Amino acid sequence: MKVEVSYRKKLQEIKAREIAKQATDKLEGPDSEGAALRRTAEHIQRVKPLNPELVEAASAVASSLPLNKKQTESELLAQLRRHEETTDKQKKGGTINIRNVISEMAVKKQSRAQRAVRISNRISLELDEDGQRIKPQSFDSRRSLKVGKRLNIFAKASTERENALKTVSSPTIWDVEFAKEIAAVTAQPPRNGFEEMIEWTKEGILWEFPIDNEAGMEDDAEFHEHIFLEKHLEDFPKQGPIRHFMELVICGLSKNPYLSVKQKIEHIEWFHKYFEEKKEFLQEI
Amino acid sequence: QVLPSPWARQARSYYVDWRMLRDVKRRRLGVEYADERLRINAIRKNTILPKELQEVADKEIADLPRDSCPVRIRNRCVLTSRPRGVKRRWRLSRIVFRHFADHAQMSGIQRAMW
Repeated sequence: MKVEVSYRKKLQEIKAREIAKQATDKLEGPDSEGAALRRTAEHIQRVKPLNPELVEAASAVASSLPLNKKQTESELLAQLRRHEETTDKQKKGGTINIRNVISEMAVKKQSRAQRAVRISNRISLELDEDGQRIKPQSFDSRRSLKVGKRLNIFAKASTERENALKTVSSPTIWDVEFAKEIAAVTAQPPRNGFEEMIEWTKEGILWEFPIDNEAGMEDDAEFHEHIFLEKHLEDFPKQGPIRHFMELVICGLSKNPYLSVKQKIEHIEWFHKYFEEKKEFLQEI
Repeated sequence: QVLPSPWARQARSYYVDWRMLRDVKRRRLGVEYADERLRINAIRKNTILPKELQEVADKEIADLPRDSCPVRIRNRCVLTSRPRGVKRRWRLSRIVFRHFADHAQMSGIQRAMW
């Protein structure tokens, strides 16, 4: 229930109190009783006078209640004073006797069942789709790093994207030699047969396993370049035994899987050169 | 690609004998002239080209160095240079082969017993 205290009444009360104070000061100055009263007044003042609003509120509450008004008022005022005292103590950092506080507290005992539950929560027996175990989801309400307001403690790092690609220069001879020197210095002699075999493989003494039948053979040419070799026969005469001979040569080359396209072209070129040299001789025939 | 090893291995610095050295020379030259010999022989062993051309080719092939022909290569034993009793698979003469096999240094070789 709200206690209404009008402002006019408050002002009147405040003025009356002030006048009364001044009057008592004047009157009881010379008297010894007055001195005692003054001391008590001072004491009360030192203890800090209660908030007049609170006093007003207390008197209004007492007047609204049906019981003995004066008694209720005095009780309420006493409560207020106690409240003020405790707040003062706390403000000064008054003695909070921890021992008293702890002595009232008791140790929380976990039952065996609760302990077992906690331990079993650390091991989860659920399996994922892959067959991997799902970790126990501990305390899901933990915040992730990126949630929440920015604190702006660190300055944002400037993200400079290098537009021009850094051209890596091909390693010079000196770099290559340096690298070789470093490798030679740091290389330890093989400790066991496996390391020895590794060294042999690097040197080329031992083949790489599983054996690749096409190791060292880099034939990037398509099959049609191997088979259709007639385009290389343009330099030869179109009629005659030489042409016949060369067509046989080409037929044989097209069936040869062991030569690369380059070697086949070289073969044909050699014949061309040979017949060019023998041209005068052939004219005589 | 062959990378040289930083630590030296035991290497044979000499061939077993001069015959082995000559055999090595013949092999090297045989590889060098193999293509040419093949092509010239293709011209020679022909029924299409004129005979005069083939005679010229005969002369040309005879002019090539004698050691370039593959026929002169002899499969000698690699360790002892023995010309006879050499097994092709291991390139070793029968005596050396037996020596190693008995000391269990030939992989997969066992004394026959049946």
